[in-house]
Amino acid sequence: MRRRVLLNVGVPILSLLLVLGVWQLIVVGGHVASYIAPRPRAAITAVTSQWSTLWPLILGTIRETIYGYLLGAVLGFALGVVMAKIPVVQRLVYPVILVSQAVPVIALAPVLVIILGFGIVPKIVIVTWIVFFPVTVNVLDGLGHVDPDLKNLARVYGASRWRTFVQIEVPASTTPLFSGLKIGAIYAVTGAIIGELAASEGNSLALYQEHANSNLNTAAVYGTTIVMTLIGIAWFLLVVGLEVWSTPWQRRSVARRRWRRGADDPTG
Amino acid sequence: MPTTLLELREVGKVFGDTVALAPTSLAIEEGSFVAIVGPSGCGKSTMFNVIAGLLRPDGGEVVLRGATITATTGHVGYMLQKDLLVPWRTVEDNITMATRLTRRVTDEDRAEARRVARQYGLGEFLRHYPSALSGGMRQRVAFMRTLVTHQQLLLLDEPFGALDAQTRLEMQEWLLRVWKDTGRTVLFITHDVDESIFLSDRIVVMSPRPGRVVADLANPLPRPRGIHTLLEPEFIALKARVLGLLHGGDL
Repeated sequence: MRRRVLLNVGVPILSLLLVLGVWQLIVVGGHVASYIAPRPRAAITAVTSQWSTLWPLILGTIRETIYGYLLGAVLGFALGVVMAKIPVVQRLVYPVILVSQAVPVIALAPVLVIILGFGIVPKIVIVTWIVFFPVTVNVLDGLGHVDPDLKNLARVYGASRWRTFVQIEVPASTTPLFSGLKIGAIYAVTGAIIGELAASEGNSLALYQEHANSNLNTAAVYGTTIVMTLIGIAWFLLVVGLEVWSTPWQRRSVARRRWRRGADDPTG
Repeated sequence: MPTTLLELREVGKVFGDTVALAPTSLAIEEGSFVAIVGPSGCGKSTMFNVIAGLLRPDGGEVVLRGATITATTGHVGYMLQKDLLVPWRTVEDNITMATRLTRRVTDEDRAEARRVARQYGLGEFLRHYPSALSGGMRQRVAFMRTLVTHQQLLLLDEPFGALDAQTRLEMQEWLLRVWKDTGRTVLFITHDVDESIFLSDRIVVMSPRPGRVVADLANPLPRPRGIHTLLEPEFIALKARVLGLLHGGDL
C-alpha cells in the first residue's frame, strides 16, 4: 500500500521536479537572458510576491472553469445519451457538434462577446463549448458498446428501459465517461483563459499576463503560465479522484463495509 | 400426476433463408430436468430465446401454466455460458440484480440472497466483486441470481461450457443438489452428451438444417447421481444412443 502511494504520488512529483531541473539547466547553462526565460525560482517569486493581487484573479479563473465545466459535463452527458438512444437525433446532431469543434474557439470568442457582452457568461460558454464534446463522444461510444447479452438478460427479467439504462448501461459506461470528463478537465482552463483574453473588460489572469508581457516582466509571464497550468492539473486530479472514489471495483476485490442499515446483519 | 409447466405448440423461426427452428412442439413437466442436446445450428438457442420472450416466433405459441407468454419477457429465469455478472456490484448485489431491474431491492431480498449464497458455498464472498472470483464461482453467483428470480422455469444455455472438465463436474453435482433442494424446472442446453445424461430426466436431441427435434428420450438412470453414474452400463448405452442420433446413426 505504502509502496503504491509512493509510486502513484512520488513518481509524478519527481517528474515535475525534473522538468523544473531541465528548465534551470537550460537557462543557467545556456546563459539565456532573463527577459527571454527567467529561472524557475524567479518565475515562482513573481507569483508569490504579487499573491494578493493574483489570488482574486485566480479565483475568477477557477470560477469560470468550474461553472463552464459542470455545464459542459451535464450537457455533454445528456447529448450523448439522447444521441445514443435516438438514431435520428444522432444523425442530425453529429455534424453540428463536429462543426462546433472545427471552429477555432479563439475565433469564436469575439463573436460571443458581441452576443453576450463582457462578464463571466462568454467565458463559461467557451469552457462549456470545449468540455461537452469529449464527454458526448465518449458517452456515445460507451453506451454503444454495452454487452447486448447483458441488455437481453435485463429484458428477460422484465426490466423497463429506464431501469436497464440506470442499472446497466450507465454503470457499464463509466470508463469512457470518465475518459471524456478527464479530457474535458484538462482543456477547461484553456477555454477559460481564451475567454478572458477575448472578453475581459476589467481584471483577469489572462490580462494580468498580457500586462506583464507588455512590461517585459518575463518572470511574471512565466509565473502566471505556471499558475494557469496548476489550475488545470488540480481540476484534472479532482476528476481523477472522483473516478477513483466512484469506481471502487476497479481496484478492490472486496467492497468496503456499507453504511446501509442491515446490510451486514450476520443473522440475515 | 405430474403437471405440464411449459408447452411449445408448433413454434418455428426462420431467419432469411435459414430455418433456425422448424415448427416444434414440446411439453415440459413441472419439476423435471430436461436436457437439450445438439450441435451448433440445431436451433436450441433460438428455441431458448423464443421461450424467454426475446424472439417472436414466426408461428405457434409458448404456453406457461396454461397462459400464452409468446414474445413476452419476465416469465423465466435465464442463464448463459457468459455469467453476465456486473463488475460494479458485489456478489450479494449481483444475486439481487434481477430484482433491482424490476423494483426496489428490499432488506428481505438481500437477506434471501445472503441465505442462498451461504447455503451453497458462497457465504464468504458476499462482499467480493466478481473480478475476485474464479470461473466456477462466477457461474454459481450467476445461477443464484437466476434462482432468486423465483421463476419456476430456469433456462440454462450451456452454463458450464467455458469451465475446465474438473470444475464442470463439480458444478454439475452442485447444480443437481440445488435443483433437488429448490424443486425448480430446468431446461438445460448443452452440446456435451455426458453432461446431458448425467443431469437430466429426459434428453431432447436436436439436429440442424433445419433445426428440429429428432428424438425425445427418457433417462432411466437412478438418482442421486455421482461420478459412479458415468460408469454405469445404462449410462454407456444411453450415450451410444444419443451419439448415434447426433451422428446420423453411423455409430
